[in-house]
Amino acid sequence: MKRFILTIAATLFFGLSFAQNAKLPENITIKTLDGKTVETSVINNDGKPIIVSFWATWCKPCNRELNAIKEVYEEWQEETGVKLVAISIDDARSASKVKPHVDGNGWEYEVYLDQNQDFKRAMNVVNVPHTFLINGKGEIVWQHTSYVDGSEEELFELVKKIANGEEI
Amino acid sequence: MNRRSRTIFTASLLLGLQSITIGSLNAQGILGGSVTGNVQFDGQLSRRDSVIGSSDVPEKLLSNARADILYTNGNFSAGLRYEAYLNPMLGFNSQYTGQGIANYFVSYKTQTFAVTAGHFYEQFGNGMTLRAYEDRYLGLDNAIRGLNVMYRPTNGITLKALAGQQRYYWDTRGLVRGLDAEFSLNDIVKPWNESKTRLTLGGSFVSKYEDDETIPADISGFKLNLPKNVGAASVRMDLAHGGFGLQAEYAHKGQDPTVMNDFIYKNGEALWVSASYSQKGLSANIQAKRVDNMGFKSVRSVTGEMLYINYTPAITKQHTYAFLSMYPYATQSTGEMGLQADFMYKFKKETLLGGKYGTDLHFNASLITGLDTTRIGGKGTDGYSSSFFGTGDTYYGDLSLEIAKKINSKVKLTATYGYVLFNPIVEGHQGEMHHNHVAIADLTWKINRKNVLRFEAEWMGSDSKYDPNVDDKRAGDWIMGLVEYNFTSAWFVSISDQYAYNDGIGNYYNISVGYTHNATRLQIGYGKQREGIICIGGVCRQVPASNGLTFSLTTSF
Repeated sequence: MKRFILTIAATLFFGLSFAQNAKLPENITIKTLDGKTVETSVINNDGKPIIVSFWATWCKPCNRELNAIKEVYEEWQEETGVKLVAISIDDARSASKVKPHVDGNGWEYEVYLDQNQDFKRAMNVVNVPHTFLINGKGEIVWQHTSYVDGSEEELFELVKKIANGEEI
Repeated sequence: MNRRSRTIFTASLLLGLQSITIGSLNAQGILGGSVTGNVQFDGQLSRRDSVIGSSDVPEKLLSNARADILYTNGNFSAGLRYEAYLNPMLGFNSQYTGQGIANYFVSYKTQTFAVTAGHFYEQFGNGMTLRAYEDRYLGLDNAIRGLNVMYRPTNGITLKALAGQQRYYWDTRGLVRGLDAEFSLNDIVKPWNESKTRLTLGGSFVSKYEDDETIPADISGFKLNLPKNVGAASVRMDLAHGGFGLQAEYAHKGQDPTVMNDFIYKNGEALWVSASYSQKGLSANIQAKRVDNMGFKSVRSVTGEMLYINYTPAITKQHTYAFLSMYPYATQSTGEMGLQADFMYKFKKETLLGGKYGTDLHFNASLITGLDTTRIGGKGTDGYSSSFFGTGDTYYGDLSLEIAKKINSKVKLTATYGYVLFNPIVEGHQGEMHHNHVAIADLTWKINRKNVLRFEAEWMGSDSKYDPNVDDKRAGDWIMGLVEYNFTSAWFVSISDQYAYNDGIGNYYNISVGYTHNATRLQIGYGKQREGIICIGGVCRQVPASNGLTFSLTTSF
């Protein structure tokens, strides 16, 4: 039995490396900061690229990333039309602090709460920060875990490519 | 067929199936849909060290591994998770030892209807009556295996119903049934659709069933008359108006004699209130809570962290700097009162205190105490009575002030002062209250686009002294230094040391190297590590105590 399971796992694992880009799930339930229940299909940017960033109020690298992008967000939007959607995985301990945290930092992102972590599981997020890049067709074309000062510039290079319809 | 040839046969069959699946996946054929997943492997080669408390590990190598595979096709999804603990890492319960499929489910979900059969995670409101969740790094998983249904009869009304058993390591135990309803009034009442004020109300009812058993009463020859069904109910609200927010939940639990409350028959209750105001660059949040005999487990005789049906969150701030989080606070579900305040302010650019780039200020304070109780009796009685507003012993308190400032285009500095009060009774020990002062400087120097250096210096002054009888290895005065070098977001090296320079014991040195490519991350470390949240190399995660070589691989696909 053990061997059988391992075989399945290995087969799936190696087989999957050929799989094509998955789409952003549309039917996962998340909440807006004022308590409205919505589905992930609200994450939309009219055919322009989207950055989906999983974060938490207590995660220092996440905060550094979102603060760094804040400084250049307007330029990014003007140049590529990109939109950043920040998904907070804060649980009951800190979920009610998310809105004050977002406003206090002056972030102008679209922010949602994923308190039950359904979206986090559907996207296979293990650690935060975890950032996804979605192209105009709603396909996940790139993902990255971790943030180091300056890596937002690498991210923007990719956003520009996608906005121009290039492959990455 | 013998075993080996059967395995080979299965493998080739699966490979064949796989190529068909992937072939048609690309072509979006009948088998369409997508397969995603994640894999995690953590291992440690431990050395014994009585000073830091890592015990002798006869098997030398300890490892935790898991793989999640998720199949999604439109509204349909299915998943399974393989876990292996050979043997479990330090800090994980030895009952995890083993391997196998720990979680599987199939689910169908549309905007108005959802059904999941198998293992699922769920939360009603803030979780005060029910929260099935997992934290892989803490070895915590109370997933429910059963049936979970969600229905939205009309826009603004969400109904949920579930029943199942809870995961207990490699087994499932107990029986939990739950109902939840949530009403978003703005969506239900037409004229309020566009109102700036949003009001959401909700309520839930959860019950557990457990067969009778013999628990002797204090009077010899008598046994306790145990309730087979125990119910808990809650009501909640969420009010938002522009920058104002008010959230509250009240939960009540019926007679629930368990080993945790020493088999008393007092009802349980919990109240939580959060109020906040925020505008761009300024925010304030105050939370208060009272928890009284609200531990709710699906099996009455089990201690430990598993089989909790509900969750009463700690409202204290989740600190991530080593010395500020040295004494983390966990809710005392038997009873506590708490207050927490958070304040954030941004001094604008080009002002006196803001300077060229602006300055961020973050303040928090919290105080948690026990309840003011009067003893009534022991086992089989109500146990105690408590006054609603009365407070008992101080359990925990903290205060922190953090100032973050960009010095120039390359250098950022965060300076923090913190004060922590900690009563050892919270961890079940007797002893004096600890008073700790903490000071932290965290400096990031972006040398150029690809090279970033980070320095962290921490100091903790404490009135506690190391006592071999208590063996609290966090006691005493400590200093810490950390240097982290990042080459783009791909590579990092970090070196750190925590040293007890007065009244304490221990020297925790650690060197870590990591490589990240897209969603794959490999990290290798050597040294001594306390358990806790560690944020290095650009991610935050909980780590177990270790001494020796550790390695960790995570990937998502």
